[in-house]
Amino acid sequence: MRLVRVTAAAAALAAVAALATGAGGAASTPRTFSYVTQSQVMIGWDPSTSYSNEIIAMSNMYETLTHYNPATKRAEPDLATSFSSNKRGTVWTFKLRRGVTFHTGRPLTAQAAKAAIERTIKLNQGAAYIWGPVKSIATPNRYTLVFHLKYPAPLDLNASADYAAYIYDTKAAPAKKLAAWFVAGHDAGTGPYTVDYWHKGQEVELRLKAYPKYWRGWRGSHYQAVEYWVVPSVTTAAQLLRAGKVSFVERLNPQLWASFKGSPTVATTARSSWQNLLAFLNTKSGPLADRRVRQAISYAVDYNGIIAALKGDATRQIGIVPPGLWGHFNSLPGEYNTNLRKAKALLAAAGYGPGKKAITLTLTHVQGDSDEELVATLLKSELAPLNVQVQVEAMAWPTQWAKGKSLNPAKRQDIFVMYWWPDYADPYSWFVNLFKTEKQPYFNLAYYSNPKLDRMMAKAERLAASDRPKAVALYKRMQVMLLRDAPVVPLYVQVYQRTLLKSVRGYVDNPAYPNVVYVYDLKPAQ
Amino acid sequence: MTRFLARRVALGLIVVAGVVVLTFVIARVVPGDPASSWIGPHASPAQLRAARHMLGLDRPLPVQIWRYFRGVLTGDWGLSIHTHQPVLSDLAARAPASLELVVAALLVALAFGIPAGLAAARWRGGAPDALVRLGSVFGVSMPSFWFALILQLIFFQRLHLLPVSGQYDPSLDTTHPLAVYTHMPVIDALVSGNWPVFGSALTHLILPAVVVGAYPAGVIARMVRASVLDTLGEDHIRMVRALGFPERSVFARFALKPALNPVISVTALVFAYSLANTFLVEAIFDWGGLGSYAADAIQSLDTPAIIGVTLFIALVYVGANLLVDILQAVVDPRIRLQ
Repeated sequence: MRLVRVTAAAAALAAVAALATGAGGAASTPRTFSYVTQSQVMIGWDPSTSYSNEIIAMSNMYETLTHYNPATKRAEPDLATSFSSNKRGTVWTFKLRRGVTFHTGRPLTAQAAKAAIERTIKLNQGAAYIWGPVKSIATPNRYTLVFHLKYPAPLDLNASADYAAYIYDTKAAPAKKLAAWFVAGHDAGTGPYTVDYWHKGQEVELRLKAYPKYWRGWRGSHYQAVEYWVVPSVTTAAQLLRAGKVSFVERLNPQLWASFKGSPTVATTARSSWQNLLAFLNTKSGPLADRRVRQAISYAVDYNGIIAALKGDATRQIGIVPPGLWGHFNSLPGEYNTNLRKAKALLAAAGYGPGKKAITLTLTHVQGDSDEELVATLLKSELAPLNVQVQVEAMAWPTQWAKGKSLNPAKRQDIFVMYWWPDYADPYSWFVNLFKTEKQPYFNLAYYSNPKLDRMMAKAERLAASDRPKAVALYKRMQVMLLRDAPVVPLYVQVYQRTLLKSVRGYVDNPAYPNVVYVYDLKPAQ
Repeated sequence: MTRFLARRVALGLIVVAGVVVLTFVIARVVPGDPASSWIGPHASPAQLRAARHMLGLDRPLPVQIWRYFRGVLTGDWGLSIHTHQPVLSDLAARAPASLELVVAALLVALAFGIPAGLAAARWRGGAPDALVRLGSVFGVSMPSFWFALILQLIFFQRLHLLPVSGQYDPSLDTTHPLAVYTHMPVIDALVSGNWPVFGSALTHLILPAVVVGAYPAGVIARMVRASVLDTLGEDHIRMVRALGFPERSVFARFALKPALNPVISVTALVFAYSLANTFLVEAIFDWGGLGSYAADAIQSLDTPAIIGVTLFIALVYVGANLLVDILQAVVDPRIRLQ
């Protein structure tokens, strides 16, 4: 009997050992591109309302009328082969590409594109505001879309937005059931890839397969499938990449990213994004209501020290508009560089500083964001010698935002740290959301009010449609104005640090589409 | 026995209800508007108002709690703010993976803990005893994330023997698609006879199960050791020894069986504890369980998901306690007579 037990135990062990052989699993197949992200991919499925991490997958399933090219700083044709506007920028005509079909099999027509955009406008969720200027849409023929706007707007840029600009087949399911049809894990785009399977909560959450009738065709070398892996731990992601089991990791920490430099199989890339970290200074109450104190804080920040501490994860931000986006300037009159002497002089003029009245400021930031935590710690230590004490409060974003929006000024913070990025390639996003006068605070968390700036931003929005050089000049003046009034300290621009297999060719980051990899454009190694 | 059981179930339900109310109130008292997470980062005030109404956040707290309880009883646990999916469907997709991991971890813990505890008692004061006590302290006190990283480094990075993450090799999804019945790949593969996935799922289970099982293994080993040593001093063991039974039989047959009663209680309680303890381990091994779901929920102030996870764990705790009570009552009639 005992012999039987021993034999059975040995057999079981042998079975496990046999199973364990090759248990590392197959490496990523050459024709499958595997993208590693840290959190759930498909939060939303509806192309009209999606407004989250799903952009990384949906951008390979759906296409837009235009696509922003960061090299030319212009919107370029995508589903539209050409586009033009009248001189005022109030009527825009888009000529659609012929021979394009949705993944449902139906052809792309002006009527279908119109239906998609009108559904997005009607649902009015996520980034639907990008169609805000649209008064009506006409379809004079099967392949022409004409937008009549309420006021001049750069609709070529709006149409290239990362969210809410997707053109899709609204007839993929009956109108009342369409939202539910999407949520079940379907897509109805025109992009190169379509859903193969969706395994919610699994390591490989989503797999896309090539759409055989894709209008650009499948000649030449292309990936035939895309997998989206959800790997919360960066160390695990690094190990998967090192073992060649995945192709691309969206973000590691700077130390792990640097550890791949010189690797024979893994490449590293770094590119400045359009996401900048801003510290809003309370212009309405407390010591920061005094412009001199705000300017002193702006001079006291050790910008280069913060960037050094972030080990390549960030680069310097001059003004408000990030590098790579039109309206950005590498240098601006009145830009702040660390100057403690000036900071002390400004504080002294306001009655504060070393040996004078002490200042205590509350700073809020999002809990769990290690970069924000580091910045908060550095600001606290940099301002302490100036007799400015910073009380750091880390909290969940909804809590931080609720505190910032509080109708009771006494409950608000002095410094509000948060990221901002645009939904389409226009500096207007920063100004209208963050610095336009608000009766009740929403995103203007410096509580800043400057009627002159309000007028200038309204003019800049219209000029962007009709006269880009004039708009650029206006944005320069607006940024100089903000530097003078110092309602915000632009701390840095985040740098996208990517790691990918060297066998992946042709990868280029496009900051207009955060974290998106356009897999069709990549060339797998033969 | 029926009255005893009814009383225990009633008490358990009161505890669960209390936990839900407390979690609900705490989640609502924390400043912040979950609707801001629902609608996205650049939402307009009108969109935010619409989202608050749609999520029922504009109603008074007692009304929200009442609606929640009504929903729980009818299978509607609310919509997750973070995933935009029904919480119950999210839990149904995530909880089985956590349960699978915890069950595997407990099997590992029992397989190690019982023989180790027995050996420590058998050679009390000797080298095996010292080794088991040291191992138990190690298992109980070692940070799970550190242990996980070390195991990954050795078995994946160095030896290329075991997988680093996931529940099974994803490339099998194209060659051997898995029919999903329980959301537990080992069970699903076994039921459907999908042997490649079954083998892959078993090997993927080893490292996380060892990490999660380290704590209960330490507890069980110490409990078995202490319990067996207690039993050894009792009259019936002296009698067995006097009758000339070999020492191996004294330990394995006569001392271990009565000593296992407290171990059963501990195992049930450790099961519930381990379920909450897997969160970090799941993140490191990319295990699609409740861990990452709960972490995302907390970060985005996803009240329905936070309450859903809390409710689920409370139910498991209460269920485990109830099971212990029943088992003890079955084993020891004095308990149900009290």
